[in-house]
Amino acid sequence: MSLFLTQVMNGIGSGAVYASLALALVLVYRTTGILNFAQGEMALYSTYLVWYFAERGVPVWLAILLSMTISFIGGALIERILIRPVENSSPLVLVIVTIGLFLAINSIAQVQFGNDIKLLPRAYADKTWLPGNVQISSDTLVLVGVLIAECAVLYLVLNRTKIGLAFRAVASNFESSRLVGVPVGRMLMLGWAMAAAIGALAGSLVIAPVGLQGASMQEILVYAFAAAALGGFDSPLGAVVGGLIVGVVGTLTTQYFHAVHDIELVVPFGLILVVLLVKPSGLFGTTRVERV
Amino acid sequence: MTFERAQFIRAAVAVVLVIVAAYVFGWYIPQFYESSTTYLWAEAFYIGVAAMGLNLLTGYNGQVSIGHGAFFGFGMYTTAILMESHGWPFVATLPVAAAVSFAVGVLVGFPALRVKGLYLALVTLGLAVLFPQLTARFVPRDLCPTCGTSQVGELARSKLRPPGWVPHFISANDQWAYYVSLAAVVIGLIVVVLMVRSRFGRALIAVRDHEAAAETVGINIARVKVLAFAISALYAGIAGSCFVLVKRLATASSVSVFQLSIEFLVAVVVGGTATVVGPLIGAVVVVFSGRWISESFPSTILFLHIDDSVKNLLSPAIFGIGLILLMYVLPDGIVGGGRRLTMSAWRKLRGRTSPPALKGIDA
Amino acid sequence: MKHARGEIRLRTVALGAVFALLIAACGSGRSSSNTTNTTAGGGTTGTTSVINASQCDPATATQGITGDTIKIGTSLPLSGTYSAFNAILQGESAYFSYLNSLGGVSVAGKKYKIELVSKDDAYDAAKTSTNVDTLINSDKVFALFNTVGTKNNLGIRETVNADCVPDLLIASGAVQWGNPKYPFMLGSELVPYPLEMQTFVNYLKANKPSAKIALLYANDDFGQSYRESLQDLVKGTPITIVKEASYNAEGADVKAQVTDLAASGADTFVLGGTLLACPNALNAAHDAGWKPLTYMSGTCVSKLLFQLGGDGANGVLSVTPLLDPSDPANGSNPAMVLYKQQVAKYQPKADTGDGIVAYGWSTAAVLQQILEASPKLDRTSVMEAARTLAGVKAAGLQVPNSTWVTSASDWFLGETFQLIKYNKAEGHTTAIGPLTDLNGETAKLSPASLLHS
Repeated sequence: MSLFLTQVMNGIGSGAVYASLALALVLVYRTTGILNFAQGEMALYSTYLVWYFAERGVPVWLAILLSMTISFIGGALIERILIRPVENSSPLVLVIVTIGLFLAINSIAQVQFGNDIKLLPRAYADKTWLPGNVQISSDTLVLVGVLIAECAVLYLVLNRTKIGLAFRAVASNFESSRLVGVPVGRMLMLGWAMAAAIGALAGSLVIAPVGLQGASMQEILVYAFAAAALGGFDSPLGAVVGGLIVGVVGTLTTQYFHAVHDIELVVPFGLILVVLLVKPSGLFGTTRVERV
Repeated sequence: MTFERAQFIRAAVAVVLVIVAAYVFGWYIPQFYESSTTYLWAEAFYIGVAAMGLNLLTGYNGQVSIGHGAFFGFGMYTTAILMESHGWPFVATLPVAAAVSFAVGVLVGFPALRVKGLYLALVTLGLAVLFPQLTARFVPRDLCPTCGTSQVGELARSKLRPPGWVPHFISANDQWAYYVSLAAVVIGLIVVVLMVRSRFGRALIAVRDHEAAAETVGINIARVKVLAFAISALYAGIAGSCFVLVKRLATASSVSVFQLSIEFLVAVVVGGTATVVGPLIGAVVVVFSGRWISESFPSTILFLHIDDSVKNLLSPAIFGIGLILLMYVLPDGIVGGGRRLTMSAWRKLRGRTSPPALKGIDA
Repeated sequence: MKHARGEIRLRTVALGAVFALLIAACGSGRSSSNTTNTTAGGGTTGTTSVINASQCDPATATQGITGDTIKIGTSLPLSGTYSAFNAILQGESAYFSYLNSLGGVSVAGKKYKIELVSKDDAYDAAKTSTNVDTLINSDKVFALFNTVGTKNNLGIRETVNADCVPDLLIASGAVQWGNPKYPFMLGSELVPYPLEMQTFVNYLKANKPSAKIALLYANDDFGQSYRESLQDLVKGTPITIVKEASYNAEGADVKAQVTDLAASGADTFVLGGTLLACPNALNAAHDAGWKPLTYMSGTCVSKLLFQLGGDGANGVLSVTPLLDPSDPANGSNPAMVLYKQQVAKYQPKADTGDGIVAYGWSTAAVLQQILEASPKLDRTSVMEAARTLAGVKAAGLQVPNSTWVTSASDWFLGETFQLIKYNKAEGHTTAIGPLTDLNGETAKLSPASLLHS
């Protein structure tokens, strides 16, 4: 039993990371309607920034905050300068643009900071508690705590502030918002900015224990896509739930399903397929009603 | 000049250019260039074949897939395993590879009916990421006793030789690979043209543009969509078989399958979605861009010497930035954009002779 | 509509012709006869020569040698998940720069400079194949050097043997490089994986005879080598493998597997993985409160990886054929001093304390000794010399008092090495016991299925 719970905790830990990145993906999708392939690499660049500051003696938590701020601004600028010109093009064009962005950011980060493995200092102590033989690591607790904090902040901002209201208006109906005078351009930038900041935080926390290198975020991105699809691409709640489910199903599969030994990915993706067959817009997504 | 005159000149030029292209691609390149160039062109060809298939599904039928690397992989492994472990000649493996990929395409096409747009793209991504795991599990033990773990090859040179029945000018392994891929392109192109102009092609487009309306005129949506998936998978599978001749092995990693899937999609969009030759042009761009970038890279920028490793790292960035810029300038791809620009140039040229009212009716 | 069709054809063909003309502007002509589709034979024919070169094309025997330069090529991961191996390139480039500054390597009485052409394959065997094609046919290198990856080299062995191109000092301890059917390959001084397992099993027999082993291995040819050798070696001993778990070699995600292994009740942990999988596994074991006697693959011996392993890395055993550059006790060793000096000079961005950089440096030194031992500078003679090395000593940071030998009956180089243990408090490894000398044993200790695959 304790092994089961341990694996569940492990899964929640990795799931929290997928959930954070999925949340970023959903924010971008809700506002600009784009699937941002480059989200992971933006988070990667932000993590390299944290390393850069930490190397120069800045305390880790401060480095993370600095990086989040820079990423916030960077995300907004990327939307304004790179994405805005093609915003109204077909979805395929947008996919290609984000793929181009993925390639560009990944390689620029490695050229700028070097492509060897970098040691990222931990922001908190590495401890594992063993209540009743169930392993709970500080990594898991911090990642989950940060996720909860992100959700809380997002909720407060989106539901209790004027900006949040404007943002939600743009996310739900772009044209009408523009007509009533909401500064839609700025809201789009805000969506990307928040997504970039969340990605920066997620990246810095998840990468510290495992070493930073060029490919660090790629596997996570795939799982984040899966999580967002599972939960519904237009639902932040779905992103979080989806992330946790993907994480937990992943570790439990490795532990218990020896028949799928070597093909563990089959289970999370099979799960997503099943969910999408039953609910084609994901667990919490809004079903699109098409006017005939 | 008169319309008939212009038509005649255009047709004549077209014929001349076709002859030139046939000579260049059919004879000059494989006979004159050494093997790494021949192999590179063969690679452009098979990527083109897969891209043409993907274009049918995504361009003409509107179902976005970023998982065609998996279908490619099915064809690749089928051919490689049959050649390596069971000694089959290459050409005999083609129908099997085609059948396998077609079948998998059908299997994927059915659930795809329920899942739309973005979610379909992600499910296909899942397939692409899953495929390497399938090879790691099934290739060594069950299907290929002489293989390593999940990788098949390198195949012995003797297995890759042109068979006895080909004309004598195809004498080297690389030439054989080249002509096979070229044949796949030509046949694939002809089939695409025929399909697009047929009822099926119109059905594809109808389903893409307005599914509900298509249904009301009696089109069997499920059949069209699943068939589109299956046919595009078949193209990708054949391309995978060609890969075996060119690279002489079968290997799949998450990175490589994902990269291939993206390459196909980029080739389709860069060339021009829903155009017949767009994917081929796109494939040439994708495959040769690496070489172009590294060859035209300056060794020094502002007194800073750029060494090989930096060049290596920067070339994806240049490619990525190039893609972004291309999408700004030519969002409908090279062929689409080229057509658009030539039309408007032509219109301006003829502007004075045609009444303003007709300007909007160009085909 | 005829109008549109004409446009299409026009455009296709025009673009096609433009491309073709562009390509025609660059590129070279085809070599005369290209029906050299035969494979070089190998095996001990009983005569003095180890390699049957009768089917090699003599015209290419000295390709890549121009004037006083020898051009060699390498393909390794410079990007992607395995990009940390670019440290190998740093080490070997520094050595060649240093060697060239001294005038170069001396072969058959003449001095030659070495030019290294490197290509990135991101650990993908298909890219390695393309790179090697380009290196041999376009860059026209003399030989391949230090190509990384078990499956990557398996994916080029037909080519290098058919074209008689020496694939020297392969960065992989797999035993397939001893297959007599493919004589133009030689593994580097990396300890062959079955020897690693033998050394550890011997250690267990002496210190923990009834060990219960949990094995974590990568699900590719590299990891399989460890698994099959270990299974073979514990047969008939009181040592048992109680649980095995594999991880996806393309990532480094091992937490769930290690948690599972930890719960199996094993008291010994064998880690058949590489790069980031090692510290991740050590961390996961530590987090699970599991403190087994741990053995880690020799490919993970690197200061950075140990550091990432944190507390879990303390006391880990491994093997190395080289001196540890992060051990201050080695600081006064003249070979170490030279190494640190020259790497700092020619590759200032490299971390000289990193065992992977040291590996690149030392392997380049071995190449120098191979070339110097060759009576003539042509491909077959060099390969012959590589297969019959009387004694490689003091190559780079080779552990002192060890000699590496190859011969007609022993196709492996790195059979003399040192068992080491990592000490976290001191931040470096220490030697355990005397040098292990398993010269000539690799073929006997390797499962036949691997050796002849």
